[in-house]
Parts: sequence; structure tokens; C-alpha cells
Amino acid sequence: MFGYLTHVCLCKRTFGVLFLLLFMPMLCAAELQRSVNEENGLEKWHFIDSDIEIELVQRLPDQTRALFMNHAFSREVIEQLALSCMFQTIIRNTGKSGAGQTVSIDLTQWRMQHAGKTSGILQKEPLLASWSDEDADAAARLVVRWGMFPTQQEYLPGDYNWGLTAYGIPPGSTFDLAVTWREGEVQRSGEIRDIVCAPDVDRLK
Amino acid sequence: MKIFVNLMVLWFLATPALAGQTLTPIPGNVMAPDFTLQDTNGKTHRLSDYRGRPVIINFWTTWCPPCREELPSMNRAWHLIEEEGIAMLAINMGEDEDTIFIFSADYPTDFPVLMDQSGEVIEQWPVKGLPTTYVIAPDGTIAYRAIGSREWDAAALLDVIRQLKEQRQESD
Repeated sequence: MFGYLTHVCLCKRTFGVLFLLLFMPMLCAAELQRSVNEENGLEKWHFIDSDIEIELVQRLPDQTRALFMNHAFSREVIEQLALSCMFQTIIRNTGKSGAGQTVSIDLTQWRMQHAGKTSGILQKEPLLASWSDEDADAAARLVVRWGMFPTQQEYLPGDYNWGLTAYGIPPGSTFDLAVTWREGEVQRSGEIRDIVCAPDVDRLK
Repeated sequence: MKIFVNLMVLWFLATPALAGQTLTPIPGNVMAPDFTLQDTNGKTHRLSDYRGRPVIINFWTTWCPPCREELPSMNRAWHLIEEEGIAMLAINMGEDEDTIFIFSADYPTDFPVLMDQSGEVIEQWPVKGLPTTYVIAPDGTIAYRAIGSREWDAAALLDVIRQLKEQRQESD
């Protein structure tokens, strides 16, 4: 009798432990990893929650200058973009839940907190609309149109996209970012704290 | 219990691998927008001329890191499928022949690279970001889509595309 009970208890316990081991990652809060690329010193914030992964990699203002100087932008626009705290951004639907859900993002819903103020992040559409033909010719606009992250996008499992996101604050600034997304019909949110914009080249050691 | 554990282990091992190398089916028999573009060798390509064959269409630029990442596997895939009657066209967005030529020294491609310098063609397609790749069925409809880079020479992807060709042969 005791042997049977012990067997039942062990089975239940084993099942419980297995269940927790298997499903804890889904029940747990978001995971945030912060790392430094030892080759170039640039920092990366890697946010993982449910089916979504968001990576923000610092981008030096000089990297941004180099990209846009290859195209017909005015000097003022190149500096505007270079000093707007850009991050190389990767968003991915990992499909880890196995539910095959669509992940939808809308960058107009993301909020950043900097110097005690809450605001939206920069969007490419108002930027493009603000420039004259002298500021950026048609070919140059294509680089911003396709180089900056899509404002809205849907990802099926396995899909990911790469692009630039911009936050409109000076190099070296620190901010918190509240991110939102939908998984199927479920609205989700998370926070990436203490993100640091890359410093301008004169501040590099 | 053992079966349950085995199933869960399999599920955990399989899900990330499958999620990485997938093509998203496009429902509703959406016709691919036709285009006429020149490749870097000056040859003109019209999409509708490829009717009757599966076509892989990849939108890319030289300054897009994941585009660069997938080009070598696309080239390897091209060598696997070239003789099978499957076409592959890479459409570069917004750059000129010289830029692509210099880039091709580091990332050689043997399949046609078409130039959409004005961005007019990409605007007609439902592309949101780069790279995006579509697989066109022999009847000209969009069969699959992939956002982000893939390992294009993976058998799992190529077999899906090969099946489109078989469907065509069955309908004949």
C-alpha cells in the first residue's frame, strides 16, 4: 500500500517538476539580457518574452553618418539622423509557444521615458514628410523608407525583421522603453530599462 | 509518462528549428504583381515570362545585414535548383550597377540580380522590410513569403518549393 502511494506521489511529483521545467519559461516574466560586443564596444539589449524577441544594438552616430553620407541628404539631415539615438533593431517571432501565433507590432504604441518625460519614439513617416527635395532626393528617401523599421508589421513564426529605430535624444542619453505587441488576439507589453544611446565619437575612449 | 516526456522533449527540440526555416503560405490565390526590370548584365526580365515555373523573388539591398547574411545560401540554393526549372531573381532596391558590382566581389551571386533603382516595383508588392522573399507558383500566384533571412539551401525549404513544381506537373 505504502509502496503504491509512494509510487503515485513520485509520479505526481515527477510530473509536476517536469511540467514546471517545461512550462516555466512561458509562465515567467520577460527575460532581458544586456551585453557588450567586445570587438567594437557597442552594447546590446535583448528582450525575450513569450513568442517575441527584440534586440536593440547601439549604433554610433558615425555609423549613421557613414550610411547616409553615401546618399543625397543635406548635411543638416545627416546630422539630424546621426544625433537621433539610433539603434539597430531586430524583432523576431520565435514561435516558441508552438501555437503558431502571429506577432504584430505597432511602433506608434511604444513609449519611451527620458528625463522625466514620456513620449513616443521617432517614426519615419513624419521625418520623410518634414524634408524638402534639397534635404533628401528620391533615392535618399528610399534609404530611410527601407532602412528604418516598419511602423507596423506582422510576423509569423520564423519571421524576423531588421531596421533602424530612433529615439530623438542626444548621444549618451539613458532611457526606458515600454514595448507592446500582440500575439494572436492577446495584447502584451514589457519594459526595457536603462537603454543607453551610443556616445558620439568625441566621447569614445 | 515516458511517452509524455519523449513527446515534450521532441516538441522542445523541434519548435525552434522549425520556426527558423519556414515559409509562410499565402492564402487566396493572390496574383504576383508583374514587373519588367533589367539585371546587372543588361538583360531584361519580365516576371510573367516565367509563368509555368516556380520563381523565388528576393528583395534586398547591399546595406541590409540580414540580406547579406542570406545571399551565400541563396547562391548555393541556386546551384541546386537551377537545373530543376525553378527560377530565382534577386531584386535590389534603390542602388545602381556600380554599387552592386563592388558588393558582388564579397558576395558573388550566379543568379540574376535585377535593379529597382526608383523603388517603383517594390512599392507594388506587400513588402514591409528587407529582406523579404516570395515564392511564386507556376500559375503566377504568390504561394509563400519569408520575412527576414533564411538558409535557402536547407532541404526543408527547397522541398516545399519543389512541390509547387510537382503540383504544376500534376495539373498538366
